Amino acid sequence: MDEIQELLEDFLIEAFEMIEEMDQDLVELENSPDDLDLLNKIFRVAHTIKGSGSFLNFDKLTRLTHHMEAVLDKARKGELTITPEIMDVILESVDAMKGILEYIRDNGDDSAPEIDIEPIVVKLDAIVNGENAPKEEKSLEESKSEKPKIVGNINLDEITLENADEIDLDSLEPEELDAVLEHLVELRNKNEGPKKVGNINLDEITLENADEIDLDSLEPEEADAVLEHLVNLRNQQPKNENEQEKEESKESKEKKEEEKKEEKKEIAPAKKQDLSNEQKKKAVKKAISSVAEQTIRVDVKRLDQLMNLIGELVLAKNRLIKIYNDVEERYEGEKFLEELNQVVSSISIVTTDLQIAVMKTRMLPIGKVFNKFPRLVRDLSRELGKKVKLIIEGEDTELDKSIIEEIGDPLVHMIRNSVDHGIEPPEERKAKGKPEEGTVWLRAYNEGNMIVIEIKDDGKGMDPEMLKKKAIEKGIITESEAANMSDKEAFMLIFKPGFSTAAKVTSVSGRGVGMDVVKTNIEKLNGIIEVDSIPGQGTTFKLKIPLTLAIIQALLVASQEDLFAVPLSNVIETVRIVEEDIYTIEGKSVLKLREEVLPLVNMADIFEIEKVLEPEKYLYVVILGLGATKIGLIVDRFIGQEEIVIKSLGEFLKGLPGIAGATIRGDGRVTLIIDVGSLMRLAKETHNKKIVTESLNEAKKKKEKPSDYTVMLVDDSAMDRKIMRNALEELGINLIEAKDGVEALQLLKSNDVDAMLIDIEMPRMDGYTLAQEIRKYNKYRKLPLIAVTSRTTKADRVRGVEVGMNEYITKPYTAEYLQNVVRRNLGL
Amino acid sequence: MGSLNEIVKQQQQSLTKPEENVSEDIVQLVGFIVGEEEFAVPILSIQEIIKPIEWTRVPFTPDYVLGVFNLRGNVLPLIDLRIKFGAAANEIDENTRFIVMKIKGEDVAFIIDRLTSALRIKKKNILPPPDTYSNEDDIIEGVGRMDDGRIITILKVDNLIKREDIVPNNEG
Repeated sequence: MDEIQELLEDFLIEAFEMIEEMDQDLVELENSPDDLDLLNKIFRVAHTIKGSGSFLNFDKLTRLTHHMEAVLDKARKGELTITPEIMDVILESVDAMKGILEYIRDNGDDSAPEIDIEPIVVKLDAIVNGENAPKEEKSLEESKSEKPKIVGNINLDEITLENADEIDLDSLEPEELDAVLEHLVELRNKNEGPKKVGNINLDEITLENADEIDLDSLEPEEADAVLEHLVNLRNQQPKNENEQEKEESKESKEKKEEEKKEEKKEIAPAKKQDLSNEQKKKAVKKAISSVAEQTIRVDVKRLDQLMNLIGELVLAKNRLIKIYNDVEERYEGEKFLEELNQVVSSISIVTTDLQIAVMKTRMLPIGKVFNKFPRLVRDLSRELGKKVKLIIEGEDTELDKSIIEEIGDPLVHMIRNSVDHGIEPPEERKAKGKPEEGTVWLRAYNEGNMIVIEIKDDGKGMDPEMLKKKAIEKGIITESEAANMSDKEAFMLIFKPGFSTAAKVTSVSGRGVGMDVVKTNIEKLNGIIEVDSIPGQGTTFKLKIPLTLAIIQALLVASQEDLFAVPLSNVIETVRIVEEDIYTIEGKSVLKLREEVLPLVNMADIFEIEKVLEPEKYLYVVILGLGATKIGLIVDRFIGQEEIVIKSLGEFLKGLPGIAGATIRGDGRVTLIIDVGSLMRLAKETHNKKIVTESLNEAKKKKEKPSDYTVMLVDDSAMDRKIMRNALEELGINLIEAKDGVEALQLLKSNDVDAMLIDIEMPRMDGYTLAQEIRKYNKYRKLPLIAVTSRTTKADRVRGVEVGMNEYITKPYTAEYLQNVVRRNLGL
Repeated sequence: MGSLNEIVKQQQQSLTKPEENVSEDIVQLVGFIVGEEEFAVPILSIQEIIKPIEWTRVPFTPDYVLGVFNLRGNVLPLIDLRIKFGAAANEIDENTRFIVMKIKGEDVAFIIDRLTSALRIKKKNILPPPDTYSNEDDIIEGVGRMDDGRIITILKVDNLIKREDIVPNNEG
């Protein structure tokens, strides 16, 4: 049983793939009906599905494909030209095939009660018999809608091969005559199979004489045909019975199962006397999968798991690099460092390569999505009475599987939109002096770490003023907002919920939901949408999507004490400016960068981060780009570029404005990742109410006289603290005391301290550790730390510098000396 | 195969049955202090208890959401129960712990001032919260009276935090 199941699964996967390809090929065929290679390819696909289908006893599927194959065969031999009408029928049968296959996938048999193939079979046969003409289409359509096959006054169901002689053909209308003839031919065909393959006359082979055939001596093609023929013979008997005695249908299932067994028994001895079923199945399987010998199918879950593991590996690698850097500083010049360095770099290279390799296994050509669009455009244009040509480029461009899955729906919406709203009806195009046939381009290409999908049409384009008017009418924007809107911003209005420009609502689009969905979907993928349009000439949409979602390159920046990761794909550049470069226009801060004027916002203002850092001479600005908008974002420090793995903030915190998720850094700490789209919106609000130059000076402290300054004395000996206090009181500064490192840290947080005198030997936390802890905070980066100790060796001094002490005073010292040091460090 | 499975099943049943009987009238809790008061949560809702580690602030959250931290590669939210219960935040000292609990399938950590002990309490000794309690968010499961006379507030873990209180609704 398992093997049959396996065989069935293989068959389904392959059949679905082939049908998808066929869909596309058929539409292509319509454009170039004489392409023999294409026709042969399509024919082969139909033939393969028929062959494998019949082997698996899918009668309905086999019957349908058989009739379709007949049409294709005729076209292949040049006896038939594929017209759009014929194509409609073929496509209809492909759809029915899809339906049956889906039913097989879900239920394991092909009974698919909802799909009635008979009308399609009739149509296909009509085509084979050369009786298809545009007129015919109508009568066929009618016969499809009315269940009994009645043409004119004749009920076709009453006519059989036996009573055909009784009909008075002369008395019939031409239309009726056609139908009757067709019907008779069809009846005939039912009793006829394919006749000759290679040197074998199939009609001579019956179930009874099957044993006599030496299959080994046959060509593979012949063997296939013979097997197929035998299966057909087997299947025909119960089918006829079914038609006559419908009540037996319950039993027929059991029968089929019996048949299956019998069939195997019957054919197997034909090949070799004791050839086992397994071997035979293997042979068939081999035939089916011989095309794809160089590939294996892998469960996507396994790839996802692999990708997660790689993500963890990347984090571990980052951590290793961080540790190496720490170790390198401490043990400079030691021999083992060299070796460690080699190991760390080789691990980091291998990890990167591994990551790329796994990413590649998850990549699929975007053609997988594009494939369905020729059909979509064809059906749409016929439905809307437009002439539209779809040109696809770059279908080999590869994208992560998860993105491929997400991108399908938005693209369908966009293509529909282009065909429905973009391309004008033929008369209108003609009147405008454009070619009657409109063109839609669907293009994919790589651009850095992004893939760009471009949807372009040569239709009527969009008028920004009209869009604004519409948006005001619908209450989406106010008049004053509209007045300040650039054309590009106006185009983006079509992505607002509830906005629809179609004057009339068609079945295709115009309900004002589509484009909104597109935007949501693309933003989910961290993508960017760009719209450009010239009225009368057409519209271009550009979707820019990151190649992969899981691991991205990011620029790490610090705003005050907090670190943030900004996706590098949205960073246009980074610049260093001085306060004088900032202009204030109408109460809004802007940065003049070369020829551009950019809105400027302090990141700390956007995220409402408390300002603790004193402003410095230089300001660091990240220029962010999203769609058509650019802004300058003031940060306090650039940390660097790093590869980060995106993690969710979890059910409770996800979806916070401006935050896309979090990543774990090399030091094990969590860093938040910026959601650029959302940040841009927040920045716009902040920009309107906060002037950057003012916000920058919020943290500036006013210190003029000595009593504005506070110095902390950290020593475990009360006597030593007393000595320091006595020496420094003269200066008129505030003094606070702590008796160890732990207390000092706590006091530091609650007091505004300007310098610290630190003893080294202390219980709980010594001076070195204290200095190290203090330097971890951005805001104490410049706080003067002065070691006051009796440890005088050179190693002690070096250690002091390492942990971030500014000065090193050895006990005993004179009061004057201590005063000088403190004064110098405070800048008094 | 089938018979083996049945045996295993029977064994499991006989193993779990007496425990079920016990848990019917006795509840196992973990007690801890937040501010001045002693609280308790069911022991089964606790994933683990860890010493405080560094966390990262997250903007636009209520003040009781301190931020997020890294627990063996997972990013967990950190909630300060003191602020949540309307008291001032305490300094972190050697008694401070993070209790990681599963809420609606997600791990969430809560800062508590100090652990007290594991408690066993009879179900009949748990009374519904008195009306005088401010129990607006329905975060109190009941009030437990211990044998030594202590009164312990038992928390409804699932209601301790709610997404809609943390992330404004209008933002996707």
